[in-house]
Parts: sequence; structure tokens; C-alpha cells
Amino acid sequence: MSPLHFTFTAMFTLSLLGLTFYRTHLLSALLCLESIMLSLFLAFSLCALKFDSSAFSVAPMILLTFSACEASIGLALLVATVRTHGTDQLQNFNVLQC
Amino acid sequence: MSPYMLIILIFTLGLGTLITLSSSHWLIAWMGLELNTFAILPLMAQQHSPRAMEATIKYFIIQTTAATMLLFASVSNAWLSGQWEIQQMSHPTPLALITIALALKLGLAPMHAWFPEVLQGLNFSTGLILSTWQKLAPFSLLLQIPPTSSFLLITLGFISVLMGGWGGLNQTQLRKILGYSSIAHLGWMILIMQYAPPLTLLALTVYIVLTSSMFLTFLYNQATNINSLAISWTKTPMLTALTPLVLLSLGGLPPLTGFLPKWAILQELTKQGLTPVAALTALSALLSLYFYLRLSYATALTTPPNNLPATLPWRIIFKQPTTFLAVLITMSLSLLPLSPSVMAFFTF
Repeated sequence: MSPLHFTFTAMFTLSLLGLTFYRTHLLSALLCLESIMLSLFLAFSLCALKFDSSAFSVAPMILLTFSACEASIGLALLVATVRTHGTDQLQNFNVLQC
Repeated sequence: MSPYMLIILIFTLGLGTLITLSSSHWLIAWMGLELNTFAILPLMAQQHSPRAMEATIKYFIIQTTAATMLLFASVSNAWLSGQWEIQQMSHPTPLALITIALALKLGLAPMHAWFPEVLQGLNFSTGLILSTWQKLAPFSLLLQIPPTSSFLLITLGFISVLMGGWGGLNQTQLRKILGYSSIAHLGWMILIMQYAPPLTLLALTVYIVLTSSMFLTFLYNQATNINSLAISWTKTPMLTALTPLVLLSLGGLPPLTGFLPKWAILQELTKQGLTPVAALTALSALLSLYFYLRLSYATALTTPPNNLPATLPWRIIFKQPTTFLAVLITMSLSLLPLSPSVMAFFTF
């Protein structure tokens, strides 16, 4: 495992662990998702560098576009959930459990 | 929601699945999955209620996490082997990670807890899309990747069948029961995936037909729990007579269509020398059969006057079109005599 591979793998793993175990606010979950997307952006950019292919350098841009869409949808859901629940605490999402 | 917006969303929903189905590069497949997720989220959140919002948020977080895991596994694979093609993945660790990510996306058993809850928060038409059309893109990816370790797939499949039956035992809400039934059926498909992929397609098709007829029946009756299903005979007597048969077909009883995939899958598993797995899976299907039978009992065998916990509704002539429902119910009841041609169609 090269140092670069280790870097983005560790970044992804830490963000995923944060998303999984830190379950207090919806906003922090969205931040962890964004950090996951940034680690993937790093991985894609390094891939383009590693393979020396300029054709592949479009891929990080596509990834960044989709991650921006995803973040905006997450923020819209955050606003909507504050309007319906009055808070963004994840422990309030318990209507559907039984 | 304005009709133009609805048209745009539904076209994007179809487009995402089609992009994934026709892609060979992991990035394009991921883009299709993300488009699919983005397009169904406004459909899920169109009622501004806490239940719908909660379902939407759970679905959003689960689907994006699964999609990022998929992309991470594919970029690791490309880093290790320089290969972006879906069908030519070689490294075992990214393959296992991708299988787990797709299982999370589909709602297979150790990662299944979100599916019944999300389904419970939606109305029946969006739930129908969620449990049929949204399964196609992850399933196509699972079918295209090279065979991963057989232990992983068999474990996922068997635990899905078991947990789908077990979780549904305690439920009185119809949407949750349908969610657990979906988990159990997906388990059957995963179990046979590495030995006979055409059988997986066959089981998926039969499952889509059966579950669509069930969802449309409940949509027509506006029944969300067992009690309101039990009094649906005052509204639609013919449909109430057919509902237990469709439920038994979903449980896989012999003269009905639902028996066909279970029959073929058990036969193929026995041929592969996996008789204990086949026997245990068939026994776990009995758990699912129990709650289908309870629904059938409440629908057809309990006749008032007894102490009904709900007031009887008026018999109103419904104006909704039922052609699609009629075709689906006919298919879900009487396709078994056609089984040689169905098998030939899927194995060609």
C-alpha cells in the first residue's frame, strides 16, 4: 500500500466511522458525507496523476459536481426537517420505528 | 407538485437506472445510481409531514453512504490494478466491499434495518417505485461484477431470508410487512446469484410482478394496516377474494406463480451440492409464510359480525383505473403452467 493510497483510505475510513458513530446532529452527518466525497475527490485526482492520463482528469470534476448536488440536497433536507421536527437531532427521527 | 416537475423527476428516475444498466465504467455507473437517488428524494418528500421527512432523510443518508462506498471500492481497485471496467475487477477486497455496498443499497439482511422504516413513511405509489424500480440498478451491478467469495453471498442471502421472515412476524402495518417480504425475496435472489444468474433475473421479475399487485391492491383499498384490510370486503368484494391468493403466491405455495422461482432455486442449490443451505432456506421461508397466512386469514376467513376494531366504510364505486392491477393479479396467480417457456425465456 503506497503512502498516497493509505492517505485517502484512512481519510475515507475516518469519515465513514464518523458518519457511523457520531449520531447527534444531522448537520454533522452531512459534514461527514462531504468529507467522504472530498477524500474520493483526492483519490480521483491522484489517480489521474498516477496514470498520467489527461483524459481522466475530467472525472474529479464530475465527482465534484455530483457531490455539490448531494450537499445541496442534504442541506435542503436539513431545512425541511427543521421545519417539521423543530430540531436536527438525529434521535428525534423515531416515528417510524416499531 | 406541479405535473411538469413530476414528469422531469420520473424521467430522471428512469434515466439514472438506464445509465447504470448500460455502463461499463464504474464512474458512470455511480453517476446513474446518484441520479436515481436524487430523483426519487423529492417524490418521497412531497407530503410535508414528519414521517415523510424522516423516511427521506434515512433513505438519503443510506443511499449516499452506499454509493460512496461503491466509488471508494472502485477507485481502490483502479489504484491496485489499473482497471475501471465493471466486469474486469480482479482484487478480492474491493470486490467484497462493493458487494457489501450494493447489499446496503438493496437492503439485504445485516444492512436491512432502514428498508421497512423508509417504506413505512411513504405512500403506496412511491413505495412501489422504491421496492421495484429502485432495485434494478444495484441488481444489474451485482450481476455484472465477477463472482466474489461464495461464502459472503450465501451468508447474505440466507440471513436475508431468515431476517425477512423473522422481522415481519411482529408487524401489523402492511407497508412494513411488504418491506420484510421484500428483504426475504431479495435473499432468495442473492443466494442463487453466483450459480445461475438467469434464475436471479427470473426471481426478480416474479417478485416485481407479485409485489406490484400487492402494492396496487393496498393502494386501491387505501389499507395501511391489517384491520383496515380486514374490512375491505365492504368496498371491493372481488379484490378481497383475490388478495389471499396473491398473498399465498407471494409466500410461494405450489399452484401459484410464486412457487416457480423458489422451486427452481431450490433445485439449482441442490444440484450444486448445497443441500443443507437449501433445506435451511426453505425452512426459513415458513416464517414469511406465517405472516402471509395471517394476512390471508384476516382478509378472507374472518367474517363479521364480530367485534371489529374499525367501523365499516361505505361501499363506494371507485373511479381509479384497474386494468394494470387486473393484468398483474392474473400474472401473479396463473403463470406456473407456463413455467417451461418462462424458464426458456430467461435462460435463452
